[in-house]
Amino acid sequence: MNTLHMAWMLARPSSSGRIVQLLTVGAYTMVSAMVLIVLGGAWSFTKLEGDAQGFYIPLAAFALVLLVVPLLVLGSSAAKLSARAQDRALSSLRLLGATGLQVRAVAVIQAAATALVGAICGVVLYLALAPAVALVKFQGEAIGTAIFLPPLATAAAVLAVLLLSVVSALAGLRKLVITPLAVATRRSVPMPSWMRAVIAIGSIVVIYTLFSKVGLLPVGLGVLITIVISGFGVGLLALNLIGPWLVAKVGTAKLKKAESPEQLLAARMILESPGGAWRQVSGVAMAAFVAVIGGSGAAMFAFSENDVAGSWEMYLSADVLTGVLVTLSISLICVAISAAISQCAGTLDRQDLYLGLHRLGVDLGVVNKARVKSVMIPALTVAIGFTVASAALVLPFASLALLLKPLTVATVLVVLLAGLLVIRLSLNIADPRRLLADHSGR
Amino acid sequence: MLQNSYVSNPVISARRLLRSYGSTHALNGIDVDIAAGTAVAIMGPSGSGKSTLLHALAGIELPDSGTVTLNLPGQAPVEVDGLGDSARTKLRREAFGFVFQSGLLIPELTAEENVAMALMVNGVPRTAAIARAVEALQQLGLAGMEQRRIGQLSGGQQQRVAIARAQVTGASVVFADEPTGALDSVTGSEVLDILMQCTVGMGKSLVMVTHDRQVAQRCHRILTLQDGKITADDSVVQGPRS
Repeated sequence: MNTLHMAWMLARPSSSGRIVQLLTVGAYTMVSAMVLIVLGGAWSFTKLEGDAQGFYIPLAAFALVLLVVPLLVLGSSAAKLSARAQDRALSSLRLLGATGLQVRAVAVIQAAATALVGAICGVVLYLALAPAVALVKFQGEAIGTAIFLPPLATAAAVLAVLLLSVVSALAGLRKLVITPLAVATRRSVPMPSWMRAVIAIGSIVVIYTLFSKVGLLPVGLGVLITIVISGFGVGLLALNLIGPWLVAKVGTAKLKKAESPEQLLAARMILESPGGAWRQVSGVAMAAFVAVIGGSGAAMFAFSENDVAGSWEMYLSADVLTGVLVTLSISLICVAISAAISQCAGTLDRQDLYLGLHRLGVDLGVVNKARVKSVMIPALTVAIGFTVASAALVLPFASLALLLKPLTVATVLVVLLAGLLVIRLSLNIADPRRLLADHSGR
Repeated sequence: MLQNSYVSNPVISARRLLRSYGSTHALNGIDVDIAAGTAVAIMGPSGSGKSTLLHALAGIELPDSGTVTLNLPGQAPVEVDGLGDSARTKLRREAFGFVFQSGLLIPELTAEENVAMALMVNGVPRTAAIARAVEALQQLGLAGMEQRRIGQLSGGQQQRVAIARAQVTGASVVFADEPTGALDSVTGSEVLDILMQCTVGMGKSLVMVTHDRQVAQRCHRILTLQDGKITADDSVVQGPRS
């Protein structure tokens, strides 16, 4: 039997496997559509007039950098879901004597095929959503047909999604190839060290100091923007360092205080992998960061817009606010989708345990509450923690913005809160009471 | 063909149980009583209806027709088949204990937390639940392992944790489905000893599905099923060795 034949045979799943396969295709569809919309939006700035282009394109690039993390998390969730769907079948193949190379090839073919179907659906979704996205206004005019990417760029984006699926499939199956029983091994995850917090806080202090002196440097606007964006990049890396530590700290505190079964289970789920819990909601940190920095920026531009009446700069405040809200929304949608996918995968992965617990008399509602808490506790922690940290980073601007344009700041914060609500609602899709309803007895 | 299996003073009474999956009759008119404080083994070939009978008696699954009545001491009889899903779930966690072949322990939790969880879902505060869980684990020879995660325990130790969870609530009836099926013979024998001590040894009832004749011989009675019917109801002469 050749590798293609094996891949084809394993591609015909059971009924529960079919749900996972549909979810995986759906996940890749969302990843592709989001990537194309984001790139389309950035692409539309190339149609702006010269001076505006010079300002808008670096900002769009900055927004793209911020969106890379949630998009990667979403892509990785889709790839992991795909790998999970194959785990048992591939493990059996390995036990039946298939070589490591054959198992790898089957995994890659299946992941790439699923991703390709999802990516094609994603292009269709992007084209379907484009008319709505085209109504978004920059420089006083709707984006219009500028949202459509050139065919080559669209193909490159699809290829990138395929590549992501292949890399994730290979990474996920590395253990399986080493030992067929590796998938059943559960190892303890070490707690993130406090050194992470020290390094991260140190980096933030350095950036803060650098930013407060940056205006005095004898450099041009281009260099200045590069310094500022690089500083934010380092800041994001620092936040990424502190994130797992922060989540672990909150998880430990919740474990100590846990009184109900769902609180205990949720705290243990978080502490099972603080890094994983952080990655799941890291997009919320990015969103909080964008909300505070971007919201303050939009408010500051609004304060000076009377001086620039008649030039392209008169739209700056509104456009920065639009950009912030769009970045915020996409970032939070990505988190909501990836959290829903991961939770669905988790529920399906553990259906034997959950149904067994139900037989023992544990209400599946308890399990559901624990799952929701295991996502929402880190999400809220990160949202509050990183809003405060970002505000501290740009304290003078943030406080000025709050005083001068409270409505702008309020709008951004309301979108952030709405995003958290969307994340909470998206978790309902993974409710074991619904997802496992066919198996939980009469 | 033996169609009924009555005893006096039953803790569970099942009458005319019918359950079909398509054209297959998993339970085909079974009448059976489970006496309080006794161990009953259910044997039979694969597909004979053993697990379906255990699920029907425990209120996990509802029969297509027939009745299951629970008679707990000092309480009014409960018609299990007349209860809705949430009421049966509540009944299972309050009145019954379960030990399954796979253990069904939550891997994120420690041994003591897995046992305490059975009490916490019944509303016992965490501190009290952990204290009782630790005591139960120590009684089963797991002293010093209370804070280990499930992945850090052997198969036999995991089944002991499952037994501790089944008995910590003070359940009057414990249902076990192939509790030693995944263990080697020596460990299986040790686990069975503990299961007997924690159930019939303490005046509770045990209903156990098993393929293993030697395991079944440890019970008071052996019910043999074939095609959804009880074909034999044998008393074991030497009785259970708890």
